[in-house]
Amino acid sequence: MSQPAAALKKPTSVKKVILRVLLYFVVLDVCVITLYPYFAMLCTALKSRNEIFSGNTILPITALWGNFIDIWSRAPMAKYMLNSILIAGGSTIIAMLCGIPAAYALARMKFKGQTAFLGVIIVSQMFAPVVLLIGIYKVMLSMGLTDSILGLIFINAAFNQAFTVWLLRGTFMGISAEMEQAATIDGCTRVQSMMKVLLPVAAPGIVTTLIFIFINAWNEYTVALCLISTDTLKPLTVGINTFNGYNIIEWQYLFAASIFAIIPVVILFMCIEKNLVSGLASGGVKG
Amino acid sequence: MNAATQPVPAEKKAPAKKKAPAKKKAPGSSGKKLFRKVEPYIWIAPSVILMAVFILVPILSVFQMAMSDVSRAGKIKGFNGIENFVKVINNPSFSLVLKNTLVWTVAVVVISTVLGFMLALVLNNQFRGRKVARAIVVFPWATTLVIQASAWNFVINTDYGTLNTLLMKIGLISAPVNWTPTPEAYFAWEIACGIFVTIPFVTFCVLSGLQSIDTSYYEAATVDGAGYFQKLFCITLPLVKSSLTVATVLNIIYVFNSFPIIWTMTKGDPANHTDTLVTYLYKLAFYNGKQGEAAAVSVIGFLILLICASTYMIYTLRKGDDDL
Repeated sequence: MSQPAAALKKPTSVKKVILRVLLYFVVLDVCVITLYPYFAMLCTALKSRNEIFSGNTILPITALWGNFIDIWSRAPMAKYMLNSILIAGGSTIIAMLCGIPAAYALARMKFKGQTAFLGVIIVSQMFAPVVLLIGIYKVMLSMGLTDSILGLIFINAAFNQAFTVWLLRGTFMGISAEMEQAATIDGCTRVQSMMKVLLPVAAPGIVTTLIFIFINAWNEYTVALCLISTDTLKPLTVGINTFNGYNIIEWQYLFAASIFAIIPVVILFMCIEKNLVSGLASGGVKG
Repeated sequence: MNAATQPVPAEKKAPAKKKAPAKKKAPGSSGKKLFRKVEPYIWIAPSVILMAVFILVPILSVFQMAMSDVSRAGKIKGFNGIENFVKVINNPSFSLVLKNTLVWTVAVVVISTVLGFMLALVLNNQFRGRKVARAIVVFPWATTLVIQASAWNFVINTDYGTLNTLLMKIGLISAPVNWTPTPEAYFAWEIACGIFVTIPFVTFCVLSGLQSIDTSYYEAATVDGAGYFQKLFCITLPLVKSSLTVATVLNIIYVFNSFPIIWTMTKGDPANHTDTLVTYLYKLAFYNGKQGEAAAVSVIGFLILLICASTYMIYTLRKGDDDL
């Protein structure tokens, strides 16, 4: 916090220096408060049960890294992890396979019902799965998908469809159609010109969308809680509650497992944060 | 969906595109013409089918159940009109739940919007470590709500929570404080947690708006002698209004539908004191076996959201007109 470079250049800098210090103070506070729950989680994950329930320490007396290993045998963590990957990966693939052609049609073709389709997409953003849970349960029951990962994949793909189409349409519309026209004149079919010309150019937007759906599906909790009853089919978000028993909560294991669930997502999120936000905002305005 | 199928008004991207294939279709024309008409629908079909099966059918099913006599096992035993709605509304706990939902949504959305906006103003300054600060602020947005809520639950625990330990170590308090003496206090903590996880979304939406503002506006205003707050209200606020509106409307929907925080922290207990519509309907459907009534609650929530949805639609459409 020593070099408020911009401020020092100006002659009347006392006020500016104070403002700078204030700025750093606020930023630091925000960061500390934001990270506090994670800090508490990490410390707790490294403590013994007795130490946690004594409530006397903030940092662990001795860091029990073994907790991070124990969770894999205390609960089918590997299974949970695999399920989460399957669900998130599967929903991402299906959402993209359905979303890319739809976004392409919206961005490059003109057809009756286009505005209506766009309207439906906007409105469908309003419905979170929770409100429809009873209906979803019923539909899944009739298709025999209640206690299955495939069911969750479809639900997540469907409820992320709005975002997928929305973000991709924005991306595609931001790319000039000239190159594709040239490709078509050279004899490419529409599908070819999309695959070979548009998609490579749109790659950054596609990756952003992809990661965003992946994170959403990875973090999904409510539908999985409601649909999955077999322990070995649960995703991480539901599975880690194994440690959150009726009588006693194994905080150290709960948080150790949580950290495994958080890390990949936070890393992915930091990669796309910038693109995602401008995509969302511009998508909203372009509507 | 069909009702709204008017001939697309001012969508302006495709025309140039159409010419290229046009010269190819000269020989066998009528079949190709038909194909060209149908083609867009083939492209959107997978998306439409996916949403129809897994969103539209559940919607219809919820509406059907809301107006039917449903057995505990979920069998529909016949039409019963608005009986489910009457039962739901006459239940004394329902008004409490509705009030909680309102308090929850308004408090979380308003406070997180204000704080998120202020945080965006702070992060929009140039300073060392700005990238790191931005990365840290993203954390709560990326973390799944169940985990975030568990962490909060642990932190505020009276007997061994780290908030008490921390405050005692610093010396601010001498004995552990019971942070959740009443259900209302617990609900307030849930709201705090909700605000905490919602702020980053607002911040980043506003930041993206802020970064597109041309700095020359501010320079001109400074020359004209405008103060900080004048610049804030006359330049910044109007220019980020659209980002802020999008963020707010989406937030209203997310927060209204938010289930994991309350479910993890209190499950709506004791006696519905911390229930919102979504946790209430979950319990009705899957704990009490009153699926018909739960469906009615869904429909009520649904209608409330529809008001938000139409506000959003009207806003975006009007915005579209402004652009043209």
